[in-house]
Amino acid sequence: MRYFIRRFLFFLLTLWTAVTLNFIIPRLEPGDPAEDIVRRLAGQNKPIDPAQLHAIRLMLGIPGGNIFQQYIDYLNLLFHGQFGVSYTYFPYPVTTLIGQSIMWTVGLVLTTNIIGFIAGNLLGAFAAWKRNSIFDSFVSVGLSFVGTLPYMWIALVLLFIFAFQLQLLPMGGGFSETSTRQMSWGYTLDIMQHALLPALSILITGPIGWIMGMRNNMVQTLREDYTRLAIAKGLKPWKVALLYSARNAILPNVTGFAMSLGGIMGGVVLVESIFNYPGMGRLFFEAVGNRDYPLMQTILLFTIVGMLLANLLADFVVGLLDPRVRKGKN
Amino acid sequence: MALLEVENLDVTYATKQRPPLFAVRNVNFELNAGEFVGLVGESGSGKSTLGNAILKLLLPPGRITAGSVRFEGKELTTLPDEELRQMRWRDFSTVFQSSMNSLNPVTRIEAQFQDVMAEKSDLSNSQIHDRIGELLQMVKIDPSFMRYYPHELSGGMKQRVALALALALKPKLVILDEPTTGLDVLVQKEIMHNLRTLQREQGFAVLLISHDLGTVLEVSDRVLVMYAGEMVEDAPTHGMLKHPIHPYTHGLLGSYADPAAEEVEISYIPGRPPDLTRVPKACPYAPRCPEAIPLCRQAKPQLLPMWDGKAACHVAQMQWNDEQHNHTRHSEEGPKLLDAAFSEATSHKAMKLEGEEVLRVENVSKTYQRRAGFKTTSMNAVNDVSFNLRSGKVTGLVGQSGSGKTTIARMITGTEYPTSGAIWFGETRVDKLKGRGIHNYRKHVQYVFQDPFSALNPVHTIQYLLMRPLMNYGKLNAAQARQKVRELLETVGLTPAEQFETKMAHQLSGGQRQRVVVARALAPDPDIIIADEPISMLDVSIRAEILQLLDKLVRERKIAMLYITHDLLSARLLSDEILVLNQGHVVEQGAAKTVIRQPTNEYTQLLLEAIPRLERPDHVRASYVPTAEPTKVQVDASPVSEE
Repeated sequence: MRYFIRRFLFFLLTLWTAVTLNFIIPRLEPGDPAEDIVRRLAGQNKPIDPAQLHAIRLMLGIPGGNIFQQYIDYLNLLFHGQFGVSYTYFPYPVTTLIGQSIMWTVGLVLTTNIIGFIAGNLLGAFAAWKRNSIFDSFVSVGLSFVGTLPYMWIALVLLFIFAFQLQLLPMGGGFSETSTRQMSWGYTLDIMQHALLPALSILITGPIGWIMGMRNNMVQTLREDYTRLAIAKGLKPWKVALLYSARNAILPNVTGFAMSLGGIMGGVVLVESIFNYPGMGRLFFEAVGNRDYPLMQTILLFTIVGMLLANLLADFVVGLLDPRVRKGKN
Repeated sequence: MALLEVENLDVTYATKQRPPLFAVRNVNFELNAGEFVGLVGESGSGKSTLGNAILKLLLPPGRITAGSVRFEGKELTTLPDEELRQMRWRDFSTVFQSSMNSLNPVTRIEAQFQDVMAEKSDLSNSQIHDRIGELLQMVKIDPSFMRYYPHELSGGMKQRVALALALALKPKLVILDEPTTGLDVLVQKEIMHNLRTLQREQGFAVLLISHDLGTVLEVSDRVLVMYAGEMVEDAPTHGMLKHPIHPYTHGLLGSYADPAAEEVEISYIPGRPPDLTRVPKACPYAPRCPEAIPLCRQAKPQLLPMWDGKAACHVAQMQWNDEQHNHTRHSEEGPKLLDAAFSEATSHKAMKLEGEEVLRVENVSKTYQRRAGFKTTSMNAVNDVSFNLRSGKVTGLVGQSGSGKTTIARMITGTEYPTSGAIWFGETRVDKLKGRGIHNYRKHVQYVFQDPFSALNPVHTIQYLLMRPLMNYGKLNAAQARQKVRELLETVGLTPAEQFETKMAHQLSGGQRQRVVVARALAPDPDIIIADEPISMLDVSIRAEILQLLDKLVRERKIAMLYITHDLLSARLLSDEILVLNQGHVVEQGAAKTVIRQPTNEYTQLLLEAIPRLERPDHVRASYVPTAEPTKVQVDASPVSEE
């Protein structure tokens, strides 16, 4: 129990650090966002009208007061879920924009990553159990080749074949322009059709790391004395494979999964841009392109919090799976 | 019909990349119900492979290539997997070597009993729970420990749990593979005793695999000896003690002696086992055997009955045949080990504690602080210890694990600072040294590590490894260093040096590696060598050889040595002075012979008792102790007349 409380306290500490950094970093950047906007509205070389500048400041809600007051206001606003207004999609608040796209990303990316993780570990365990079989050679040699293919390339090839040549699936987007956007079977099917290609492009390369990792770990744990003892005990083969060997081999992969979540955001930007998918990745891409600071900052904050939550969850899962980490060094 | 019959068994490790290794060849033996049999051999002799082959647990690429293993008449080598699986644990079970690893680290102790008992017995869950409690009590562990995870138990407890687990379904045969290796001497003794008692009570048969002939002889009814993949002797324990038939067994027995005797001597077997990728056509032991005759190098001896056991040896066989005709015994039985023996008499030990003082340890204590949350607990690892190291003398530091031996060594090398007290190296306060001072000081203090297998960097040649300290401390250039490396290799007996300098550590045997480690310690020409259990990881038959080397170097080069060990026998042989350490306190200190022959402390006596005592009749000893009267043998006490 102490392990879990400790992990949670660490989580709170990192969360506070992240939130504070999110406050400090923009303030260290040179330039004034209000000035920037006025200049863009008025044109590069025109003089800036102080009244206009003031109006823009009021409109955006740019904070005044000393830095501590600003920090307290910032925390207060965060606490009430107010992240400001997007510059690009003015006057929509950032939260509305994120609310619209977050479910698309979570639905696509999270699901495929979890499926990839589970499938990868199962396939890896199977390859290790049947080591030196044809399946195993395919896994160790074949997949390490496929794994080197960049995944946007795979995405483009999939688009070319299934959407352009065969015209079986849509070229992009999250749903058809003509759809009713009401909850119905037709709409669900439509979403599925649009999600299929992006999901496939993630799922072709995604599980390979897990398969290889699981296979190699399990080849090790199969040689460990506890696995051999389980065989000597005459337990059913599937029990030996799953409860003794795979059970121990999966531990590094669970930690690895938590670590890999940090890299997902980059992948999301890529895949959503290629498939023109209405998720967080594309939103972030646009925000960067338009220097939409509030939007950018909020997406980053959401990403960080998401990562931290995922890590906390992974820590808990590792703690549940491996009694040795719970004890610490005592 | 015997419980287990092994006939003409061959096991081969064959991979595509390397030539096949013929690990076990033509092995025959039987094991009766309720019998306690020991299987002894050095590392690489094929004893564990044989154990795994019987259990059909060989790791690939190991494979049974010929012969048969029958359990109660049932042929195991061809039995379908599913039938074999049904037999496992109910008919035969096992305890593995490393207590660290044989329990699943992620499940509770209870679950590891539960899964096999639920599947293989008719007991209900609550009955199983009660039975687990009983089993744990049987190995003297409180039943409440079944809720624990393996990492929460000590090494000795884990091995007891593994033993209880092996007995869970009342099997007819238990195969134990080095069950106590790596455990503390006192714990080892206790577990073996526990095992023997349980075996007598419950009547299961045991095959105890070990490299330690002493331990095996103490508990077994009968002992099998393997050498280079072949069975060389199979004899009852009492017979083997009185009269080992095979010269190899005789050689192994030579490594044991009573440290508290007036004269102590142990011997070693020169040479190393043959390469098993080429099957020896003749007796595999012939190249190392002091008794070998031309026939031994031409034909392979068969395992034949002689005296009260069986042996595969031409010389013994001829003696046996002679004896059958003449009804007399010759005292020449067994090898003559005069040249290869190491004793106090042949060591260069001086009688009095003289010699120049090199290092003085004054009232040194070390306390470790451990912080958990806001609580701080402290542990006294070393408590008020004082002693001197003198040039050309060996100081033995004896105690079981956790007694503070290594902490003292670390403080002397300056890797750890004492909490109080002082360490003087001449005029230098070692415990006050920092940075550059430490570096300069370490030139004078070198370390010989316990495990020669991990003490040498596996990616470099021996030459490189030995050049490093020479260039680092000796300020030699590469060419000079290379020259010096040869001298060093010759000094530690690795000749010709050219053959060894280009090798990697993994191409050498354990004894050769330990010699390289010693050479590395000698490289900066140190005043002090700290040898931390330098022989405990080596095969029994070559331990005396390394002791002899250390002895020679210390005396010739006037090095002061701190010899750290748990083994009183080697401490007695090598040391001038002995300190017995118990939980950080020096409980006994004095001249080696006095401390061990007249121990005043209970703890020293306990350590002495933990040493396997082999009661050998005088005439065996007489055949190789030079100082003793050559006795003309009481023939009536020989095993022949006992038959």
